[in-house]
Amino acid sequence: MKHTIQQVFRSGKFVLGFSIFSAILLIVIFYPMFVKDSPLAILGQGTFFPPGIYVNVYDSMSSTAYTLNLPDAAAKRVANKLSEEDRLSIKEWLVAAGIPESEIDTTDTAKLLGQWSANFDPKKSIPGMTNARRNYFIRLNTSLKGLLSTEGATISQTNPETNELEQVDTVNQKDYVNVGEVANTRILLLGTDNFGRDILTELVAATRVSLQIGFVAGLIATLIGLTLGLLAGYIGGLIDDIIMFVTNLFTVIPTFVLLILISFSIGQEQRGAFTIAVVIGLTSWVWTARAVRSQVISLRNRDHVNLSKLSGHSIVHIILNDILPYIASYVIMALILQISSGILAEAGLSILGLGPRTTEVPTLGLMMNWAMIYQAHILGNWWAYLPVLVTIALITFSMNLMNTGLDQVFNPALRD
Amino acid sequence: MLDGQMYPFLADGDFEWNADRTEITFKIKSAAKWNDGTPVTAEDVAYTWATHVKYNTPTGSANTPYIENIEAVDAQTVVIKAKLGEDGKAVNPLLVEAYLSTNYVIQKAWTEVLEERVAGDPTALLADPAEDVAYSGAYGKYFADDTKVVYIRNEEYWGQDASMWGKLPAPKYLAHVIFKDNAAGTTALQAGEVDVSQQFNSNVQDFWLEQGLPISTYLPEAPYGIGASLPTAFFNLNSPGLDQAAVRKAIAIAVDYPTIIANAMTNQSATFDQVPRSLMNPTDGEQALYDHDAVADLQWAGNDIEGAKALLDEAGVVDSDGDGWREYNGEKLSYVATCPNGWSDWQAAIEVVAAAGKEIGIEITTNYPEWSVYQTVVTKSDAPLPEEGYDIFMMWSDGAGPTQPWGRIRKLLSSEFIGMPSNWNGNWGQYSNPDADALINAIPAETDEAKLKEMYTELVNIYLTEVPSFTLMYRPQSFHTVNESVWTNFPHADDGTNPPVPPLDLTDGWSIAGLYNLTLVNP
Repeated sequence: MKHTIQQVFRSGKFVLGFSIFSAILLIVIFYPMFVKDSPLAILGQGTFFPPGIYVNVYDSMSSTAYTLNLPDAAAKRVANKLSEEDRLSIKEWLVAAGIPESEIDTTDTAKLLGQWSANFDPKKSIPGMTNARRNYFIRLNTSLKGLLSTEGATISQTNPETNELEQVDTVNQKDYVNVGEVANTRILLLGTDNFGRDILTELVAATRVSLQIGFVAGLIATLIGLTLGLLAGYIGGLIDDIIMFVTNLFTVIPTFVLLILISFSIGQEQRGAFTIAVVIGLTSWVWTARAVRSQVISLRNRDHVNLSKLSGHSIVHIILNDILPYIASYVIMALILQISSGILAEAGLSILGLGPRTTEVPTLGLMMNWAMIYQAHILGNWWAYLPVLVTIALITFSMNLMNTGLDQVFNPALRD
Repeated sequence: MLDGQMYPFLADGDFEWNADRTEITFKIKSAAKWNDGTPVTAEDVAYTWATHVKYNTPTGSANTPYIENIEAVDAQTVVIKAKLGEDGKAVNPLLVEAYLSTNYVIQKAWTEVLEERVAGDPTALLADPAEDVAYSGAYGKYFADDTKVVYIRNEEYWGQDASMWGKLPAPKYLAHVIFKDNAAGTTALQAGEVDVSQQFNSNVQDFWLEQGLPISTYLPEAPYGIGASLPTAFFNLNSPGLDQAAVRKAIAIAVDYPTIIANAMTNQSATFDQVPRSLMNPTDGEQALYDHDAVADLQWAGNDIEGAKALLDEAGVVDSDGDGWREYNGEKLSYVATCPNGWSDWQAAIEVVAAAGKEIGIEITTNYPEWSVYQTVVTKSDAPLPEEGYDIFMMWSDGAGPTQPWGRIRKLLSSEFIGMPSNWNGNWGQYSNPDADALINAIPAETDEAKLKEMYTELVNIYLTEVPSFTLMYRPQSFHTVNESVWTNFPHADDGTNPPVPPLDLTDGWSIAGLYNLTLVNP
């Protein structure tokens, strides 16, 4: 046993797959210990907040202000609000408003903005200008207000007694806060989804549930496939015919279609994560059964099996002691593949809206489903679906790598 | 749609009631022509009604309780006689008025051809595809299959008459493209293959803010459109505990509406701070119909957990066995909130409703049955709703129209729908209040505006006090997002049109006036 494990870990492919898989497992186990939020808690009021560090504006006003003299702060401030494209648009407006083109210099911000504020009129209709364009100019005008001001901003508060605004503080343009000193900050490494949930927390919880679903589904499929394959292969005869008849029946019906039909007929009320796992397991044992059967057929006339028969051992004893150990490596590999295809099947089902009930547990497929419903892929909100895709890919990739590694070790034909 | 007024189009001037409000008289424009060149006459209007009655069409059976007859006095003048009650007054003058703007006039000559073709068989008459129908509008059929319907402009259209627009509408063809789903429609809008999109595009502002596309909506900022209908959560008034107004109101005031509007609707609904809760939609016409100040004390903006708890404590609905959930009559308050599966914005909203329950000690779980199951359960109003599974459920309410807000209020509050085996009208929670019924019955006959406002205010008062149902968001009649790659000058707020062209898809009601304003971006 020890020798076998040593051999297995000498396979580069297996080690790589195993490390990826272990890393995912470790994250799934340890992440919830540090972030205790419920994965389904709605944090954001709004959809698809981009990834980043969120710093509370109110708290940062009252945090200690440090003055930093950074040389290009003002230029950056202007560039953030006024892009090259905006400058050209302003020029376009000014030309339409009758300013000679020679008098407009898009590189001279102060002059440009002066001309803009002197001439811009939101009500003016320019021939050929669309409503979308008009809205753009109005938005631009609003965002440019006070852009070149060197004064600080005043913070005022309503005095509850007099009901009047009182100046509390001013924020200067060179004031900085240290993020570490602000009372409320939140790192949303992967942003939020359409419900306003933290995607990273949700993704970790979903990975756990999907792994569980894959594990249960894989275990069920392998158990059924193994049992039927062993019985059919070893006993043969009528039993073999019956089992192969059923197996062939299942082979001709596409598994995924069967899966869809069963999930749909169960109805949403009963569709928990565990039920889905069982359904996936019950529909995906066929190839394991066939493969195990053919392996067993090649084993059953070996000398040691015949010897065991002559010794009067029972069928169960022979199967467990003389057949199973010889195909154990194959069964393990089949199990790994079944787990990975179980995870994929859940993702496939959920994307069609036939996965587990939405609101109890997150799964990888459900996350994809909601990202799709809220059109994250069209609007370019990649953080809502790409991390999920990568996770699914990593899990299945690592399992397939482990499988290939095992194959290299156990299959004499492939051994170097 | 925006101001609650009816504008004459085929009719020459406004319609008029007689002194007793038993007859409506109006004239047909002398310029109005069918596409075969013959004039549209009063006889066509009268014959359309006669055909509805004769073949007992859905329109006929829906209106015969209110309309006695429609007659042609001369070639241009039509008289509609209302059905009179025992007191000699019209049964429902409002629905008689509504007939004017909600039904097509069908040419008499063509109807007779049709009758001959179907040999008087009512089923065949209704099923006839009417390929050869005469039409008085600006466009006729050009092409139709499963993926699109295309109309072509009638170059002889009578809208060119000097009394009308004096010109033809701008586009020569109108194509209505049918997409597989919202995502396909959004992609086409992005690519500029669609000029006017009337579907829900989530985070519509990303089109111009992030992607810089020439796309705009009716309003430049959130909520981007004018709400017309009120998607509503109904309470099953037979569920234990939900027969108590205090429990209903506590749940309603604890719900986090800003999150529903920001997340489920991606801000494409006015908030309840902007348009306080009532039975009216956010249009100016309807908002003017009730006294905002009189019901201000009954309003709630949501997220009021402490208020909800206080309300329940006061009503004696408390957690007596210490399990964290409140009991009523010794029974734990536990409800299921539901809406059809796959109706994503409603599902997201129902999730937020359920979250509110946990905050105030009422267990609310969610469930999403398939629509086929959901609709049969909810619309079966001749028996109480099932004890389990449908305690809080979402349905729609009426949008804008000539009978509104009366029609919407009736469908939210009137007990007349209880007992219907297949109720597609409303009041699915089976609420019954004689005071509300009396007001709903009295409004159609009332003409005094001050009195009407008083009655509407009273109804809003009942609605906010009793909370038989509560609105979760406002939703436009149809979404209105336009891509100005080819055409521009689509209706938008303050576009200078008078009366304002409403944000519909330019093929419905007064919105067709918008077709005359369109211009090419690069002529």
